[in-house]
Amino acid sequence: MAAKMKKPGPAAAKKPVDIEKAGLGINKGVLLMVVAALVPFSLPTVTILAVTMLPTFTAYFAERGPNRYAWLCVGGLNFSGVVPFLFTLWFGVHTMDEAFRMLSEASVLLWGYTTAAFGWVIYNVTPPIVSSYLAYSAERRITSLKSVQKRLIEDWGDDVARK
Amino acid sequence: MAGLVDDDDELLELDTPVEAVEEEAVAEPVPHAGTPGMLRDRFTVRSNQPLPDLSMPNAEAFAAEDRRDPNRKLFALICKPEVAIRSSVMRTLKGLKTVGIQPLVDWGPMTWPPAGRQCMTVLYDRPVGRRVMADMHSEIRRIDEYDITRKVVTPLVNAIKELVRCGVTHRAIRPTNLFYMDEAGERLAFGDCVTSPPAFDQPMVCETIESAMSSPIGRGGGTYADDLYSLGVTMAFLLLGRNPVAHLDDETILRAKIAQGSYSLLVADERLPLPMIEVLRGLLCDDGMQRWDIETLDLWQQGRRMSPLQPRVEKRASRSFPFQGKEYYNCRELAVALSKNWDAAIPLVLEGKLELWLSRAIEDKERAAAVAEVVRLTVAAAADKRMGSDLLLCKVLILLDPSAPIRYKGFSAMPDGFGAALAAVMAARSDTKLIAEIILREVPKLWFEAQGQYQPDNSLMEANFRELRSYLTTQGMGFGLERCLYEMNDSLPCQSSLMGEEYVTELRELLPGLNTAAANSKRADGKQWPCDRHVAAFMGARARSDIDRNLMALNDSDAGKALMSLLNLFAVFQYRLGPESLTNLAAWFETLLGPVIGVYHSREKRKELEKEIPKLVRKGSVVEMYNLLDDPGSRHTDHSNFVWAKAQYQAAEEEIRRVQADEDERETDADRIGKQTASVIGILIALLTITVVVILTVW
Repeated sequence: MAAKMKKPGPAAAKKPVDIEKAGLGINKGVLLMVVAALVPFSLPTVTILAVTMLPTFTAYFAERGPNRYAWLCVGGLNFSGVVPFLFTLWFGVHTMDEAFRMLSEASVLLWGYTTAAFGWVIYNVTPPIVSSYLAYSAERRITSLKSVQKRLIEDWGDDVARK
Repeated sequence: MAGLVDDDDELLELDTPVEAVEEEAVAEPVPHAGTPGMLRDRFTVRSNQPLPDLSMPNAEAFAAEDRRDPNRKLFALICKPEVAIRSSVMRTLKGLKTVGIQPLVDWGPMTWPPAGRQCMTVLYDRPVGRRVMADMHSEIRRIDEYDITRKVVTPLVNAIKELVRCGVTHRAIRPTNLFYMDEAGERLAFGDCVTSPPAFDQPMVCETIESAMSSPIGRGGGTYADDLYSLGVTMAFLLLGRNPVAHLDDETILRAKIAQGSYSLLVADERLPLPMIEVLRGLLCDDGMQRWDIETLDLWQQGRRMSPLQPRVEKRASRSFPFQGKEYYNCRELAVALSKNWDAAIPLVLEGKLELWLSRAIEDKERAAAVAEVVRLTVAAAADKRMGSDLLLCKVLILLDPSAPIRYKGFSAMPDGFGAALAAVMAARSDTKLIAEIILREVPKLWFEAQGQYQPDNSLMEANFRELRSYLTTQGMGFGLERCLYEMNDSLPCQSSLMGEEYVTELRELLPGLNTAAANSKRADGKQWPCDRHVAAFMGARARSDIDRNLMALNDSDAGKALMSLLNLFAVFQYRLGPESLTNLAAWFETLLGPVIGVYHSREKRKELEKEIPKLVRKGSVVEMYNLLDDPGSRHTDHSNFVWAKAQYQAAEEEIRRVQADEDERETDADRIGKQTASVIGILIALLTITVVVILTVW
């Protein structure tokens, strides 16, 4: 039995990583296929989104590190800037011409990119605010614990602090 | 010590009238003259009226008055504080009305202005007549054989009989301590015997050979046979009207007594009536077992003629034992010489010369074999050669003369005289090493084993020495040599320097004594305890119950525990013996209570105690102070609450440390949470915008 077992080599060690990469690839592929399938039915919408949502795509691909939430924040605000024009398209003339006409207007791109910029601002400002809040609450906790210790020393003397 | 023995020079000549002496004393007042001492608020002792003719070698006499009976003639003896007195004998003699004994009216510690401290004072009825013999060299009118029975034998033998009945010995019977109690000189009585240790003031001539061989301080209480011997010597002096050996020094007297026998030394060449020879032979017999006793004296007084005892002297050797240029012919004499030349004697014994002399010249094979065995064991076993040799010689001396005192490197005392000897050595601040060594090396045990006949008193003493040894081997307050001192001297006042001028002989006097001392000397400085080695040993020896465990606790390294133990002892004594209020002592304790209050962890409890204690100090109650401080319930609660508080403190400390240590992690978390929050905000804005747009579009 032991003889039948093969000693795991470097190739065997790399195998799980490959599977994981393959898994991610499948998910992304499915998503792209779904999006690709929808393109023929709403090409004007896709065109509008493809142009106006460029900051979101940039945020998605440009961000590095463990917490990659920029595309959600930027995307949310970016989309909120674009969504009134999308509704105009959907409830107006849903054609490629109309889509190109809208894109030629400066206000559409301005709204989309300005809101995206505002998203970036929010995304960059929030972590320091949270950090300050957490530091402040830790400080409060330490002060409170120290006052408890001081009261204990007042009641019991310095011996209470000895281990 | 010798100086204390021969103090008779202070005594006046026989023919000096008492009145003249008093006049002289008044003419030359002593310091602090005019300030009298007062005993029990009843007896006034006039410090400006000394009575030198009634003084004792260790106690000065002063005129005294009884407030209840101003016509009663009294005199007081003021004892020296450093000399052990015989309070148990005082207790017995107080109020005893016996012909032949000077009546002891009262006794007790009294503040004595000339000394500026408390001194033991003994009050006697003042004899109308004078001292029979002023000193051991003076000559007096002879008492003839017809008068001696009536004037001397009958009252004095009755006195000894009474002492025997009371279970005490006089041990101060000598011609210079006899008084005429009436003006006519018809009634004789023994003088004081309580102001110094037994036989301490006795001249060598008045003591038996055994007692004479001992140092005066270590002669011990002895037996009434010793008193009868002293009576015999006194009778011989009175019959002869002088001291027949006044021209001889002490060493010669002792040697002559051993060589010829006491009777031969004192009376041999004198012409005395036959009945007197008979009684003197009986009383001066050197063998204590053969000496006349009270019954024999009674028979003699009734007129029954006894066969005179032939003097029995030590067996004489066929050839002498040369030692230090002198020739010795018997064991007792040789033992005395060996004991006085300790270092020179040891080689002789080790070389076997003594053994040879015993077997060949004395022809005592048994004793020779015993000596040889002792030498053999010493040579074989002694780890410390010097100490082994000392013990060897001590054993050999006991074998040579079993009834002699214990002799060890120049120290010589009877077993019952060790207490007084130790007291004297400690009072003189001399080296106590010898006495400690004797007790530790169980020398008394060897002495008791060497005594031929069984005596219950010896068994008791042997047990006491065993106990002393255990005290000596225990270190710390309450034990050691101080404990031995008080165990062996039941009437010795507490020698602690803390007592100041107080004279404390009983446990019930200890706390009042410390209380007064605390007030007088401002000792409550916060460092000095109201207890030292002497006070602790005194308590241990005088307490009726076993307090050794409490005394051990006094030596605890934890000052709080040790002080609580002392407080416990004092509280028990105050509760049992009083007095109810000891304000100064309580105040003394108050300054020391820091470590005891410090045992409580709670500051609140401490403040509560610090508030409560001054009230108890004002009340003077050590008992309540102890009860307040030693509350097990409070202590337990305090302890458990303290443990809880400690745990709480440590938990807080842990948390602070953890919060401080998590700063990096917090930054990471803040980044993650911030980004998540921003993304949620973005999504929410998007959803809100969609909703608004949908609503605007639909309407």
